[in-house]
Amino acid sequence: MTLWRTVVSSLVTLVVILGVSHVTLAGSDTRNALARESSLETILKRGTIKIGFDTFKPWAMKDKTGEYIGFEIDVAKRLASDMGVKAEFVPTKWSGIIPALLSGKFDILIGGMGITPQRNLKVNFSMPYEFTGMAILANKAKAPGLSSLEDFNKPEIVVAVRLGTTAAEAAKNFLPKATKRFFEEESQTIQELLNGRAHALVASNPLPANLAAEYADQIYLPLQEDFTSEPIGFALRKGDPDFLNWVNNWILFTNAKGWLKNRYDYWFKTKEWENRIQ
Amino acid sequence: MRHSTRPRAFRITPVDAAILLAVAGAFGYVGYKAATGLNYHWKWEIIPQYILRFDETAKAWVPGLLVHGLLTTIRLSLWSGVLATILGTIMGLFRVSPRLFRRQIAGTYVELIRNTPPLVLVFVFYFYIGDQIMALLHMDELIRSLPLSSLGPVEFLFGPPHQLPQFLSAVITLSLFEGAYIAEIVRAGIDSIEPGQWEAARSLGMSRFKQMRYIIMPQAMQRMLPALAGQFISTIKDSAIVSVISIEELTFQGQQLMATTYRSFEVWITVLAMYFALTFCCSLAVRKLELGLQRK
Repeated sequence: MTLWRTVVSSLVTLVVILGVSHVTLAGSDTRNALARESSLETILKRGTIKIGFDTFKPWAMKDKTGEYIGFEIDVAKRLASDMGVKAEFVPTKWSGIIPALLSGKFDILIGGMGITPQRNLKVNFSMPYEFTGMAILANKAKAPGLSSLEDFNKPEIVVAVRLGTTAAEAAKNFLPKATKRFFEEESQTIQELLNGRAHALVASNPLPANLAAEYADQIYLPLQEDFTSEPIGFALRKGDPDFLNWVNNWILFTNAKGWLKNRYDYWFKTKEWENRIQ
Repeated sequence: MRHSTRPRAFRITPVDAAILLAVAGAFGYVGYKAATGLNYHWKWEIIPQYILRFDETAKAWVPGLLVHGLLTTIRLSLWSGVLATILGTIMGLFRVSPRLFRRQIAGTYVELIRNTPPLVLVFVFYFYIGDQIMALLHMDELIRSLPLSSLGPVEFLFGPPHQLPQFLSAVITLSLFEGAYIAEIVRAGIDSIEPGQWEAARSLGMSRFKQMRYIIMPQAMQRMLPALAGQFISTIKDSAIVSVISIEELTFQGQQLMATTYRSFEVWITVLAMYFALTFCCSLAVRKLELGLQRK
């Protein structure tokens, strides 16, 4: 019996050690494999490209029938068809979207991700395919008559902003003295502002402009212009120059045709698609 | 005093009426305050299309986004419930095993899981361990190589085939989590059997396995069932946690819908009602089960 137990326990130990070492080695394994063969090859072999994104109006959203629509979705579909493969969409929570890309849940992140040096340390970015601007939205009753960034940069001003977004970064940089409160979802920041628990909200346009139109008697846009202009790029895993090269040239190509601008204007400047979601 | 087993006739006294009125008034007041003081444009009319909608192309009524989420939640809970019961029973038996080694394995498992927050567990498991398991099983290639005829049953049992790896990761995580609690229920059930039963079984010359199988387990099962059923209802509610790893269950669908429509209150209230309907049906079923099992 003792012999049996010794054998069993040593086997269990061995399995555990192997398992752990497998996990630690896996990281370097995938990196080597990626260097040897590009995601491009994997995608073409598979016949589908997996695209990661999170719901962000009007970048990507679900319409009434459960289909994904939006600026990013158009871009992703076009990219897939130019590659000659099917597009498979992988909706992912924003808070875990970079780990999901790194652990290979999808091939490319087309989710309106702003290019920042911190993010760039972990992932590769394509060249910018669009620029987005940050805007401030303020509560009429709580913070009336403000018209500049300085007016909001005070400790007594509470700013609601979505966690992990470039809007959160912008709020930290442009409004360092203001009290910032972070939320997981954009709908929460909006509610916070409407209920007067926050004086202002920072988000990428066109959301602030649309909200100001909907709740015209409660909130207003204090600044006439967006106070930032941020480059947006596709994010890819590191160590894959071939895929990056293909994606960059695709952006140059579609930009030259004016196709990107045409789609951008449709989703950001018109409201024709609004009846498809509600 | 003769104890009657028949329930007394139901009568509402003036005191009851007053209490009911007061409660209804309080609810009404809170509801009114919420509706008026929230600074919120209510738009309930957008909700029905996400539960059932008329498909123009197919000319038929099809389930909407939220019902799809509910179906995923049901699938997730069922599979996790089954797996957690198997795992929990094995670990529960290990907990009361005469062998130290088995007791230690089960003890370690239960304490590890019970003393970590499920949300953190889900994240760690999904990004570090789940991936390794799925890669070892070559899940991705397996799904892509499935013949088209088998896709129907797979979809019915596990949801959309291309999300199967994520779904399985979620199921395994949930089962590991719930299994720890089930193990404790099983242990408590077995421990609650009087020592006399063990002694009687041993004096008949039964081996430990036979004692367990013929004498202890049948009695322990009866005591465990209510707690196990309660744990299954917990599993349904805990399944909301896996929305963080983007499994498209009810909570996730609700959050996606809010990001699209910014109608947080209507959507959350609807999601809440759907969860309640699901778990309340389970509660009623459990009640029936308990009544059926009571020794007449």
